[in-house]
Amino acid sequence: MENLLNIFVRSIFIDNMIFAYFLGMCSYLAVSKKITTAIGLGMAVTFVLLMTVPLNWLAYNYIVKEGALTWLNNLGVSKEFADFSKVDLEVLKFIIFIAVVAAFVQLTEMAVEKLSPALYTALGIFLPLIAVNCSILGAALFLPGKEFTFGESAVYGLGSGLGWFLAVVALAAVREKLSYSDVPKPLRGLGITFITVGLMAFAFLSFSGFKLPFGN
Amino acid sequence: MKFLRNTLDKLKPNFEKGGKLSFLHSVFDGMETFMFVPNHTTKTGSHIRDGIDLKRTMFMVVLALIPATLFGMWNEGYQYHLAMGQTASLFDNFLFGFLQSLPIIVVSYGVGLGLEFMFCQMKGHPINEGFLVSGLLIPLCLPPDIPLWMVAIATAFAVIVGKEIFGGTGMNVLNPALTARVFLYIAYPGEMSGDLVWVTGLKEGVGIVDGYSGATTLGLLAVGKEMTISSWDAFMGWIPGSMGETSALMCLIGGIFLIITGIGSWQIMLSTVLGALGMGMILNAVGGNVYYDFPAVNHLLIGGFAFGAIFMATDPVSAAQTARGKWIYGALIGILTVLIRVFNPAYPEGIMFAILLMNVFAPLVDYYVVKSNINRRLSRVKA
Repeated sequence: MENLLNIFVRSIFIDNMIFAYFLGMCSYLAVSKKITTAIGLGMAVTFVLLMTVPLNWLAYNYIVKEGALTWLNNLGVSKEFADFSKVDLEVLKFIIFIAVVAAFVQLTEMAVEKLSPALYTALGIFLPLIAVNCSILGAALFLPGKEFTFGESAVYGLGSGLGWFLAVVALAAVREKLSYSDVPKPLRGLGITFITVGLMAFAFLSFSGFKLPFGN
Repeated sequence: MKFLRNTLDKLKPNFEKGGKLSFLHSVFDGMETFMFVPNHTTKTGSHIRDGIDLKRTMFMVVLALIPATLFGMWNEGYQYHLAMGQTASLFDNFLFGFLQSLPIIVVSYGVGLGLEFMFCQMKGHPINEGFLVSGLLIPLCLPPDIPLWMVAIATAFAVIVGKEIFGGTGMNVLNPALTARVFLYIAYPGEMSGDLVWVTGLKEGVGIVDGYSGATTLGLLAVGKEMTISSWDAFMGWIPGSMGETSALMCLIGGIFLIITGIGSWQIMLSTVLGALGMGMILNAVGGNVYYDFPAVNHLLIGGFAFGAIFMATDPVSAAQTARGKWIYGALIGILTVLIRVFNPAYPEGIMFAILLMNVFAPLVDYYVVKSNINRRLSRVKA
């Protein structure tokens, strides 16, 4: 339990997808003009992360990893026919992860279109683009290094998503305030946003090196 | 006074439209309104105007900073002489600190105001004196031995990236003085942390009395050692540290001044203190190591807590703007300060990061406070 809490807090604040790894920047910068749409996209990313990280965990541990396919032998495929404990599909990890993510995003898109057409139009192109949101593939690619259990990977996905959510909503609030500012012409739009994100990352540095009192 | 007015009136035509020096119009305007309260009146509609404008407001804060500045100068000399094993009179101590910190203050004001004037000229805006306060806050929160070029770089960074590109005074997201400090802290950690930087001359290591350590309480606690000074010393401030922030008492005097003049928000100060106390007490209740058991009240006295809570958290631009938002904003600063101090050994001081972090989230807090107010009133209309 303590370990789960540790992973959860860590993935939100310390290993924040935006401010620590700068992942998922494209949609982060593009859909942070208004708080309402930012909340929509943030929830979508959180949801997709919560679902795809455990799915990818399954894919990794039962298909991709070296010897992960041993369960085929156990099911009854004879070892003479194929010894799966020696099969290593790590090379396919990118393709498999992205396929899982893309399939899942497609499902989410259909669900959002059905359930909330207003949000669907507000998010526009960025909903399908979640499929190539780096933070989602990134979270999956961090998995091999982390040796999580299934439950932990779900908590990690949720935490990473909430961290992204927090970052995008905070940036949207700042940008709504900035819309009244007299920013020098060459910097208007993306330029000032990049600088704002940099300064926000400054503030988020306060969490780097944090030693949590629980877990390890 | 008359002479000054006459001189200004005589020079004025040169700076007005068509005059020889009209391109320097905003500089002149800035100087004139700095010295005399402008008597501009609005031409249309009715407006309620107050004699206190941005310049006067800023100047009040500078006045509030004076006790901390003077004490800080004295303390700098006092710590130096203590480390060298010499005794010095009150005046000698003060003079030493004064000469030591004057260049830092001059560089900070020079670079900052110079850049500010430049930007105003380029944009053709009137000059606004937002930097008057930041220019003093920056030296006060830096170690006494800091090289001047670092002060210049940090000030330039804070003014340009932290403020001017967002549209100048009143538009910045982060507090400029804190931006400068964090910039230095991250870019040059060697000059900004450790046990040796907080007292002048300690780094050279010449002639230091045996057993004198310039370690600050925060530095000791971060490595799990007990506080070596009494709470009284921490409150009065004759301890090593950045120039203006050692003395909680002097900050308190400035804070009371700010509250009486109505410039600083007492809501933010109070809620910051309450947040830190509350979090400190929770940790006390948990107990375990030195830092957990560190009395919650002492959290308010050590480091830059008083300075940050009174002068930096209350920055009217980067703080939350709504009444309820201020309480939330302040309380979170207090809580985060204690959390960062206790759980982040990499950063002994928590208040500067806590304030920056809440500066980032202040617009969000405001947004939700406004939204909940709207919702409440809507429900009243419907009922």
